[in-house]
Amino acid sequence: MALSGIQIFKMTPKTNCKDCGSPTCMAFSMKVAQGAVDISACPHMSEEALASLSEATAPPMKTIKVGTGDGEYTLGGETVLYRHEKTYVSKTRYAVSLCSGMDDAAIEAKLAEIPAVDYERIGERMYVEMLYVNYAEEAGQDKYVALVEKANAAGRTLVLGCKDPEVAKAALAVCKDGKPVLNGADASNYEAMNAVAAEAGVVLGVTGADLNELYDTVAALEKLGNKNLILDVGCASVKDAFAAAVQIRRAAVKDQDRTFGYPSLVNVAKLAQGDKYLQQALVSLFTMKYGSIVVMEELGYAEALPLFGLRQNVFTDPQKPMKVEPGIYPINGADENSVCLTTVDFALTYFIVSGELERSGVPCNLLISDAGGLSVLTAWAAGKLSSTSVAKFITEQVEDKIKCRKLVIPGKVAVLKGDIEAKLPGWEVIVGPLEAVQLVKFLKDMQG
Amino acid sequence: MLINRIFNGNDAVYGLTVGAIDDAIAKNGADKAVGFPNTAYCLPCYYAVTGVKVKTLGDLKEAVGVVKTLMTREHALDDALMSGVATALCAEFIEALKYVDGAVPYEEPCYGHLADAVIRELGVPLVTGDIPGVAVVLGSAPTAKEGVDLIKSYQAQGILVTLVGGIIDQCEELGYKTGANVRVIPLGKDVTSVIHVVSVAIRAALIFGNVTPGDAGALLAYTAERVPAFVNAFAPIDDVILAAGAGAIKLGFPVISNETEGIAEVPGALIPAKVEDFNKTSLEARNIKIKITNIDIPVAFASAFEGEIIRRGDMQVEFDGSRVDCFELVQSKDMEEIEDHRIEIIGPEIDEFPEGSKQSIAYIVEVAGKNMQPDFEPVFERKFHSYINCIEGVMHTGQRDMIRVRISKDAYQVGFRAKHIGEVLYAKVKSEFEAVVDKCQVKIYTMPEDCTKLRHELAVPAFDKRDDRLRNLTDESVDVYYSCILCQAFSPSHVCVVTPERLGLCGAVSWLDAKATNELDPNGPCQVITKEKCIDDRIGEFEDVNEAVHKLSQGALEEVSLYSIMEKPMTSCGCFECICGIEPFSNGVVITNREYAGMTPLGMTFPELASMTGGGVQTPGFMGHGKHFIASKKFMKAEGGIERIVWMPKELKDMVAERLNETAKELYGIDNFTGMVADETIAQDPETLVAFLTEQGHPALSMNPMM
Amino acid sequence: MPFNQKPQKFNATINTVEIGCGEKAIKLGGESVFPFYTFDGPIDNAPKVGVEISDLGLGDAVPGLKEFYGDAATPAEMAKKAEAMEGADFICLRLEGGDPNGENKSVEELVAVAKEVADAVTCPLVVEGCKNVEKDADLLAKVADALQGKNVLLLSAREENYKAVGAAAGLAYNQKVGAESAVDINLAKQLNVVTTQLGVKAESIVMNVGTAAAGYGYEYVVSTMDRIKAAALSQDDAMLQMPIITPVADETWNVKESMASEDDMPEWGSKEERGIAMEIMTASADLAAGSNAVILKHPQSVATISKMIKELV
Repeated sequence: MALSGIQIFKMTPKTNCKDCGSPTCMAFSMKVAQGAVDISACPHMSEEALASLSEATAPPMKTIKVGTGDGEYTLGGETVLYRHEKTYVSKTRYAVSLCSGMDDAAIEAKLAEIPAVDYERIGERMYVEMLYVNYAEEAGQDKYVALVEKANAAGRTLVLGCKDPEVAKAALAVCKDGKPVLNGADASNYEAMNAVAAEAGVVLGVTGADLNELYDTVAALEKLGNKNLILDVGCASVKDAFAAAVQIRRAAVKDQDRTFGYPSLVNVAKLAQGDKYLQQALVSLFTMKYGSIVVMEELGYAEALPLFGLRQNVFTDPQKPMKVEPGIYPINGADENSVCLTTVDFALTYFIVSGELERSGVPCNLLISDAGGLSVLTAWAAGKLSSTSVAKFITEQVEDKIKCRKLVIPGKVAVLKGDIEAKLPGWEVIVGPLEAVQLVKFLKDMQG
Repeated sequence: MLINRIFNGNDAVYGLTVGAIDDAIAKNGADKAVGFPNTAYCLPCYYAVTGVKVKTLGDLKEAVGVVKTLMTREHALDDALMSGVATALCAEFIEALKYVDGAVPYEEPCYGHLADAVIRELGVPLVTGDIPGVAVVLGSAPTAKEGVDLIKSYQAQGILVTLVGGIIDQCEELGYKTGANVRVIPLGKDVTSVIHVVSVAIRAALIFGNVTPGDAGALLAYTAERVPAFVNAFAPIDDVILAAGAGAIKLGFPVISNETEGIAEVPGALIPAKVEDFNKTSLEARNIKIKITNIDIPVAFASAFEGEIIRRGDMQVEFDGSRVDCFELVQSKDMEEIEDHRIEIIGPEIDEFPEGSKQSIAYIVEVAGKNMQPDFEPVFERKFHSYINCIEGVMHTGQRDMIRVRISKDAYQVGFRAKHIGEVLYAKVKSEFEAVVDKCQVKIYTMPEDCTKLRHELAVPAFDKRDDRLRNLTDESVDVYYSCILCQAFSPSHVCVVTPERLGLCGAVSWLDAKATNELDPNGPCQVITKEKCIDDRIGEFEDVNEAVHKLSQGALEEVSLYSIMEKPMTSCGCFECICGIEPFSNGVVITNREYAGMTPLGMTFPELASMTGGGVQTPGFMGHGKHFIASKKFMKAEGGIERIVWMPKELKDMVAERLNETAKELYGIDNFTGMVADETIAQDPETLVAFLTEQGHPALSMNPMM
Repeated sequence: MPFNQKPQKFNATINTVEIGCGEKAIKLGGESVFPFYTFDGPIDNAPKVGVEISDLGLGDAVPGLKEFYGDAATPAEMAKKAEAMEGADFICLRLEGGDPNGENKSVEELVAVAKEVADAVTCPLVVEGCKNVEKDADLLAKVADALQGKNVLLLSAREENYKAVGAAAGLAYNQKVGAESAVDINLAKQLNVVTTQLGVKAESIVMNVGTAAAGYGYEYVVSTMDRIKAAALSQDDAMLQMPIITPVADETWNVKESMASEDDMPEWGSKEERGIAMEIMTASADLAAGSNAVILKHPQSVATISKMIKELV
């Protein structure tokens, strides 16, 4: 069982020296208990305390880092099987697959498409994060190394799919500084692959014919001192891959089986066998169920829009609602004379309201003020959405930009109408509908 | 006497039935088919009671023999009621014989037997309550007009009316429209045709109640509990009608009659009443509540008007509790003290007040109900603010005797008067608290002397009594606690255990609120938790509480204590008003509240603490709670109680000071306890805090170590 | 030392609910394991895929849909085509024209449409109302009456109208009741409790616990379904053991990603491809979280999701 903050505190020096960066030993202990800070951040812990705490606070699943700089990603480190229990800490990362068996034109075309998907969604940059470079034996080592070099130049973190230690070594020589993953160890080659990966200082991907073989190979690699691993769930069938992904994660998190306490890799490009729609279905499935890296054949806008949205949702903190930036959001080509509507900055509310406003076709300005990321009624109850907050936002940030003086407020906070009018001279405050779905009709009626 | 009459009636009908069956067999042979058209249930009543399908005259002959066995003649109420059932079954047989050979025994306006399809159609609104009741009107009213007036009164309430006997002719006489489409169904003129409405109730039990045919117990339970039917039988009542009435009573349908001769009251079952009181008496006897769908006022009523402000220049009249005597009050009364929907203005209407003047007002909403409890009074009362504000052109602030109500000139001009406030309060209390309010009346006083007198003699004592009750409510003095899982959407495994001395950590749900929520919505977020099996008195741990928490958290939590923050503390959701956390250097706890954004001596701010303690996980040493809990005697009682509090933000400290000091004085004899408690102006780190506490001689420093 | 496999065995089971009649009847639920966890125990009834059609026809649907339905002019003709769609297990007829704020078609007219559709197909039928609670109370009750003997599932009974819909569908006319709540385990449970108290058998109830398109607060959907399945199986909570049906298409084809025109968003590429991907990915996630049936619109999505289910079960 994880230790409580109090238990950890008892082992600290209790000096409040602040050397760890926290103002008190208590605050530090609470953060360690949360997994937010490592126990080693305290320079004054006794050896004895450190040893017992490290063991007890060690996560069931290792946190593996790949890539460098902006392309450095943290994989694994999960402590729960369901997001409602506690936040999933490491997002699924998506890699687009390349293969040295492809012809040059196809490779060029694919590489050229990679930068196309690059946009922002609720404060998060969405783009293709990784490239999976597969070794086709018949194409030979040179072509592979050349491809790896080319892929490396694309500036994405690489995963090398290669089971031949010699070829892998050559490929790593050109890309190891980018901290790629070398995916290719199995029961037959793990010793050699381990040596290659260790020498290059990169994460090693391991696979097995079945879960038992995988388990034994991981155990053998750990014996060789390598705990910098990723587990490839295999490509025998969708059913087997799913079974492996779930059971590996469950063994680690629920049953505390540390041998399987590593992130996973799922190659849906291979599993889908050229069916791009099946690939869409599978990438969603493995985002939900425990893929740390998911390899895809293609990741254009059609895939990216739903997929990154899904990932953003699944990997949110259940305690902290997603927020959008406060500001003026013009909709349907609104200008300074268009009617204003206001609501809270809770991302879900924003999406639903803006969607309905778009559907209405009526040009309008959606004014989002800071309401702590809470929904309308919750924000109102918590005092984060009040006549003061709305009036302050409008006088400070809206009045000099918008000429229209009509403001629609959510029907659920009709109670604010009088107060807002009192605080915003010159504005006409109109009570909107109770539910967003009624906005289309409301706006049309208001126009008509 | 009554019983003998029932036996006589039963015997008479039985004799007739046997004769009729024998005649029919003689004429058609025993194999002749018998049954009602358009039903899958043969003779539905007999089938439902016995599970046997009667298909031929021969079967019928056998069935009548079975009926005979019900006709026991011990002189006891139950024998009489069973004879009533036997009478009803005989009536069904007699009616069935009318349909032999595809005959069409009933003609306009009478319906006779009703098809299964009609029952399915009527059954849905019966189940939903859109048809709140079924009236069986039997015999001839003293005058046709009285009869039709009675029918009209039911129609206006949405009640389905079935007619048997002379009342049908009385409707025709006055040209009163009947038919299924207006929910007035004449069945037939023979008394036996009453079985067709019984058949409706019984088939409803089979179709909507999943009652197994032959399971008479389940059948009777269903009709009694789920079919809101009753009988209005006009005098004279002969033995046969009385016997049939006994059958109705057995099904759970009370019989209301204006007969005075040779009849005795059976409370709740056979009730004498004047014809003009039939409606009221019947509804009360069957506990039928009529839904209120619209509020009869000349202005709009909607939440969109809740935030409307009426400025001085726009107001017709103002009632201001801060200047003159005003109050609002809910009082529970006995059923007979209340005339439902009576709105009484005692004193002048608004018309008599000069425009723009300040006046006194007092409105008392009196309620009664079988499940009403005085504890709900403040719960209703707190809603008045929202109710009155939703009226277009009316503004309301404050509560109790500190209310202020303004009525706009616009509202006045379209006819809004004080009595309409009564209409709104009546309609809202009746509809929103339907589960506990059976009757409601409103008294509105507008004469200053009345308001003054009532305020001091009625309202203030009532408020004081309530406050005393709240103050005296202790965890030990009640039998049950309540769960609250309103926050599970955000904190899946969080369960609040609300006790009298420990309100929900959001600060919004007191034990009384939770109790009312539970009574009003038994499947809602607040459930009863018993506290019979105490495990550890010191930390407040109960087996029953643990079980409830385990179940309601879907297994995420095993054990909670009510009074400890160190051992199995209660979980926190995300909506707590305050968090307290252990401060090891002073051996006490620090409390901070949501409004305070600054640093605490723990080295953590409210948001940081919130992220560590929230989400429905148990975090020993840290706990979310409501502001009012701070002065509670149960506040971390296991660790020594409020004496442990060493630091609070100044604003919070000032807010709770009075009550906290009172508790400290009572428990420990400490004067001005909050003077020893630090705040952000004194200390924001442990060292300064401890120095201050040492200087003050704070008791926490010398208490047993918390960990 | 081999991997120590620890299957999660539960002594509780999701209810089995049958919809439709005859050979094509389908069964939802019946499993004692988490979604697609065939390695823990058998899943006898694989999740099902339904095709949504509307009394309003296709409207401004994407070209692929128009092409698929071709010259089918009436809902009944569309239903026939939908029935033959690759991967389709059932049809969901949405009577959205009943919306009082929209076309406001009469109940009689819509009942007639439902009847025509029911007569035109042999596969199981789900009938969804117009989402206006008052209208649906009346409409779905009448549909339940008109389609007696077809064993249809009626969507939806909600908190506001569960009595009318539940009593008609579940009690009077022996159909199946869809209980719809808004993405909250306790609301879902409460609705099941009151619906069963009404007398509707638990085995006649299918839940629609709400959904969203991927990216639109979908985390609530995941957690609601995760928690419901956990409570149903590990806590043996009988009031949450109803199988789940999720109308996916209605959500996914109405978000910006599927609706924005190619003129407005040239870099996003084909609108139809975006819509399909949104539908497929949302449906797949719904199934992974616990849906026993999904309702989709596009033939490509139906075929794909059906294929994925076959691969997994």
